[in-house]
Amino acid sequence: MGGLNTALMIGVSALDVTQGALDATSNNIANVNTPGYTREEAQISELGESDSDGEVTGGGVSLDGLQSIRDELLNMQINQQTSLQSAANSESASLDQVQSYFTTTGADIASEFSAFSSSLVELSGNATSSSAQEGVIAAGQNLAAAFNSTANGLTGVQTQADQQVPDTVSQINTLTAQIAQLNGQLAQVPASEDGGTTQDQLDQDVAQLAGLTNIQVTQTNDGETITTGSGTPLVVGTQSYNLSSSTGANGTQQVEDSNGNNITSSITGGTLGGSLNIANTVIPGYLTQLNTLASQFATAFNSAQAAGTDSNGNAGAAFFSGTATLANAAADINVSLTSPSQLAVNSTTSSSGNNVANLSAALTTTLPSGETAPGAYASLVFNVGTAASNANTQSTAIGDNLTQLTTLQGSVSAVSIDEETANLMRYQTAYEAASRIVSTVQVLDNAALNMGSSTAF
Amino acid sequence: MLATLEQSQQTLNTALEQVSTGLSVNQPSDNPTAAASMVENTIETGDVDEYTQNVTTSLATVSQANSTLSSVVTALTSAQSAGIEGANGTNTTANMQALATQVQGILNNVIADANTSVGGVYLFGGTSTSTPYTADPSSPTGYTYNGNNETNTVAVGDQTSVAVNLPGSQVFSNSSNNVIGSLSSLVSALQSGNSSAVETATTAVGAAINFIGQQQVFYSNADSQLSSQETFLQQDTVTLTTQASNLIGVNQSAAATELSEAETDNSAALAAIAKVMPNSLLNYLSTPT
Repeated sequence: MGGLNTALMIGVSALDVTQGALDATSNNIANVNTPGYTREEAQISELGESDSDGEVTGGGVSLDGLQSIRDELLNMQINQQTSLQSAANSESASLDQVQSYFTTTGADIASEFSAFSSSLVELSGNATSSSAQEGVIAAGQNLAAAFNSTANGLTGVQTQADQQVPDTVSQINTLTAQIAQLNGQLAQVPASEDGGTTQDQLDQDVAQLAGLTNIQVTQTNDGETITTGSGTPLVVGTQSYNLSSSTGANGTQQVEDSNGNNITSSITGGTLGGSLNIANTVIPGYLTQLNTLASQFATAFNSAQAAGTDSNGNAGAAFFSGTATLANAAADINVSLTSPSQLAVNSTTSSSGNNVANLSAALTTTLPSGETAPGAYASLVFNVGTAASNANTQSTAIGDNLTQLTTLQGSVSAVSIDEETANLMRYQTAYEAASRIVSTVQVLDNAALNMGSSTAF
Repeated sequence: MLATLEQSQQTLNTALEQVSTGLSVNQPSDNPTAAASMVENTIETGDVDEYTQNVTTSLATVSQANSTLSSVVTALTSAQSAGIEGANGTNTTANMQALATQVQGILNNVIADANTSVGGVYLFGGTSTSTPYTADPSSPTGYTYNGNNETNTVAVGDQTSVAVNLPGSQVFSNSSNNVIGSLSSLVSALQSGNSSAVETATTAVGAAINFIGQQQVFYSNADSQLSSQETFLQQDTVTLTTQASNLIGVNQSAAATELSEAETDNSAALAAIAKVMPNSLLNYLSTPT
């Protein structure tokens, strides 16, 4: 049967356990604002009972350790959404820049098309006036300049996106090296125990990695295995595999795995996926549309010029030049006429009217692309606008989803000051009670020791 | 909480932008379809403005040409009277010479009329920039036409253009009815004192009066065509402006309502967050004694 000492031992175990629980609570409160911190709970269990001659006595309480409260499935979902979110954000930021070149500012292509068209209408009323001819040349130069600046603006955004690729790749490599190292540290922790702060650090790194590229996380005996794209390993156990980037055949960056294989097309998420999509797909598409328009419009207008004769009686020379190379047509287009008198205002054939109607018609006839020049430009504006609007919508939608998941994660893993304050009071009371056990046993011990002594009474 | 606040702030910014710019589409992503349609609208609006200017200028040109021709008719009529006077057979040589001088003066005036220019453009020179008629002793009429046979056609609509002048070769030195020729023949006939030649020349001047009258019909037609086009363009301008405001304009009262709603939402969100944030169990616990 248990004696007073048993009661003392039980009281002391209660003091120890409450002390541990208070430690956990204070650590939680201390880390309330620490990013990536997962709240810890004291794992408490009762100690085995002892049976002596049929009398069962409780064995007290024990602290099994501190357990971090996390939900791996939720973490994985958050990582996936983070990848999508970063990609959408980076695309949306680039497209916002792109669409600024297609916004009506007075110096954009639409405004300059309008001014050019108006200058031709003015010329039709006054074909021989050199000031009207000068007006057409000036409007043509402005139109060419608008093409140039739009093309350069697009290329600028493309370069910007492109330059982010090597930076992002090196960030990925730093993170994967850290994760591999943390995997090694976690391998030292017995499977029954929680990884605690090391696991927090690892989760934090993985979340950051998810923002950079699309990843797949698998739990193995060696820790977390992380792959990107279509199965390219980034971290396996304690080994990390570096990605690298280099300039590809089309002049933009491509990403290679540790064996040098080009994996660019399989990177779809994160900042890296967003940058690659903008630099390799989105902007080249717009540039092709713009170049085709510049080249076909220049050709149409030049042939209208060639159909007439200029004020000096010469056959109309090419009005626009610089569009010979399709890939640079929009960036290089310029007006090659140097004098208003070179404008082919006179008709070569009929005696009625002049060649101005032919020149104007270059703006309203269907180009080989199947649209008129302003129509083709309008399609481009539509494409850019739709893409920018979609990227914004997508970013917002994923953002909402992510907020929900994060809130959910917060409710599981984050520190609640209210809860911790309640725990603090709970454990305080328990500690006080346990102390009372000890002091009571002490009083009883004294009483027992003094039994039969005369001084006792 | 912060996400909610950010969203409400964004709504507020959008509403503010719409009210301050008066536009619902400030960048293509706001409404891609409208932004694309606006490309055509901008070009069309610019063109219509320019067509309207062309019409205004052409109307001035046409009415100037018409009144010039009227003054030519007046001049020709006085030349005709001089011719009739010269043909009655009772004139002395001195009288005939005086009449010849008078008709020569009329001829000079008609040449000056034929050389009228508006804004640097000759009314009767075709599309040429050279002075239409210059004196030329080698020519039977004493004058050479330096212009060409073309007409100035002015675009006044996408598919509409109007011819706004007749070349001098048609009006003044037409091979079948030469106005200048009839006057210079009359001068020669008067100078020679031959009454029957004067009579023939006077008849030719009479025919010239009719001929100029016929040419004026062209200008009257052009005038009415331009006037109706002007009305059409005014309507077109209104249509395009309406279209533009439907596409990218803002309904001011709706936008203002939206703005004040967004303001209210935003301050409500701010107030709510300010209330929630500092609250925790700790606020309600007394300090441990």
